[in-house]
Amino acid sequence: MSTPWLIALAVAKVLPKKATPLIFAALGGVISENGGIVNIALEGIMAGGAFAAVVTSYRTHDVVLAIFVAVLTGMALAAVLAYFALAQSADQIVVGMAINILTLGMTAYLVSTVFGQPGASPEVPGLRNEAVLTWVALALVVVVHVILYRTRIGIHLRAVGEEPRAAATAGINVVAYRYAATIAGGALAALGGAYLSVGETHIYSDGMVAGRGFIALAAVIFGKWTPFGAAGACAFFALFSSLQIVLQGGAVPAQFLEMLPYLLTIVAIAGFIGRARPPASDGVPYER
Amino acid sequence: MRDALRHAAGPVGALALALIVSSFVMLAFHTNPIAAFGALLHGAFGSKQGSAETLVQTTALLFAGLGVAVAFRAGLFNIGAEGQLVAGGLSTAIAGAALHAPAIIEIPLCLLAGAIGGAIWGGIAGVLRARFGASEVITTIMLNYVAFLGSSYLVSGPLRGDLSAPETAPIAATAVMAPIIANTRLTAALPLAILLALYLWWWLGRTVAGYELRAVGKSERAARYAGVDPRVVIVRAMLMSGALAGLAGATEVLGLLHRFNAELSPGYGFTSIAVALLGATNPIGVIFSALFFGALQNGALAMQSLAGVPKDLISVVEGLVILFVAARKLPVGLMLARRPARIEGDS
Repeated sequence: MSTPWLIALAVAKVLPKKATPLIFAALGGVISENGGIVNIALEGIMAGGAFAAVVTSYRTHDVVLAIFVAVLTGMALAAVLAYFALAQSADQIVVGMAINILTLGMTAYLVSTVFGQPGASPEVPGLRNEAVLTWVALALVVVVHVILYRTRIGIHLRAVGEEPRAAATAGINVVAYRYAATIAGGALAALGGAYLSVGETHIYSDGMVAGRGFIALAAVIFGKWTPFGAAGACAFFALFSSLQIVLQGGAVPAQFLEMLPYLLTIVAIAGFIGRARPPASDGVPYER
Repeated sequence: MRDALRHAAGPVGALALALIVSSFVMLAFHTNPIAAFGALLHGAFGSKQGSAETLVQTTALLFAGLGVAVAFRAGLFNIGAEGQLVAGGLSTAIAGAALHAPAIIEIPLCLLAGAIGGAIWGGIAGVLRARFGASEVITTIMLNYVAFLGSSYLVSGPLRGDLSAPETAPIAATAVMAPIIANTRLTAALPLAILLALYLWWWLGRTVAGYELRAVGKSERAARYAGVDPRVVIVRAMLMSGALAGLAGATEVLGLLHRFNAELSPGYGFTSIAVALLGATNPIGVIFSALFFGALQNGALAMQSLAGVPKDLISVVEGLVILFVAARKLPVGLMLARRPARIEGDS
């Protein structure tokens, strides 16, 4: 076979692994931002989920339980974001950064205390075939799309994200919707984290999320706040990181391929490729 | 005096709450928080070297914290201090290696290069926000990664000055900022940062440009009716913010590393968000909160070696401080001016 085919084959093998965690996290971002809460804490929630899964698997050797605990952890972290954003009217971006810093510190602290060694956990039982989670992620893209655009709940949620006051007048409980959307988003982001740990590598190491939460955030914007758009952006971004792995030492410096998602997002949000318009009340505190 | 105490009550309360919560975290893992914080204090202030090192960390946090604070006053959330710090540090390292002038000229020029490098990195976000309404939160996050990856490329390729490690060539001997106290790493960068803080305090409160910046931070629309062009103010604020973060990188290079490499910053740019918020975005307040976080970071190593508490615990304290300061309905919340979500009604 010729080289381009070999490259394509290698990329096809790596791409799903790179895209899956991004898709989970980006879907989480899509749900919460359609409800009007900007979740900049995706990075921290992924780390929290990845860590919780590994600790659970370490203690119980039960991978399904591990993923379940990861999801609960993500929901708890997202609930903190929702509480401060909704009950305390705090700036969502500030709270999101706080959760990122807090979670990255906390997981590093816990790695040292729980495993007795800084930096990384020992290897724990993990999924034998993590491709299952890739199919789950793809299915969830469709599910989230249907919920957002084809169900009453989705229409209400988007109303809450666009015009909360009008939604409230129509009898929708804005605060409840925002809590639910943010917490559901946290569950998904944590699944992305669990994929990285008990799915792909079977360990937790400090910094293993490595900016994927922010790439997912970029994918939400790049995909114009829609599930299919965001998932497409994740696949697109994953293509670059796969190419970077496949073409190691190639003509293009690895850093440039890695940089592309970030550069493209800047270009997208500045409106150079169509207008990336967030839900009208995204990030705006709601007060009755 | 009473006024100053009243201003300090909120941050001190948030701090106390953060320390209490993190103490419970330690108790949950059978460590004694009093021993841990005792070791931290000892490491931070227990010796001449220790105290000087605390002030070294304070310096970088003060520069970058002032940057984040200035942007905040203009209603902008600059998450990109880390990237601006890298851009500044790299610019200074390039200037320092290329120029060979007497120290009295060389050092200011290198500092200027760092400020310009940081200002450009911050200014990009400012222009994108002012011209296209692109959220500076998103662009500064993305620009951070562009700076990390771009500098990593440059020091491993075109700018590599040392074959054994990915770093730039060393700066000229005349560019080195020497310690002002013997046997420590503390340089004149600290007094410079404090002077800048005082100047900024005066600038924000007493000049027309400072007033305009604060006006835009309160309400872009109201500022526009008062004849202020928010776009100019936003770009100016991001240039200043980036320049200040750039100076943090510049002084690290000139005083400590004498070259640019990946060890430039242990995350000063991110900690500076906590510094700015705990300082209530007031330059004078930022001096004190930079000292606090400098002590926390420096003391963390002693806490780890003497009390066996992983140093990462201080990030937990940091995150909690930000969380409690941001809360608007707790008594400790600072009622930070709410940032306008995005440009209100374009042009």
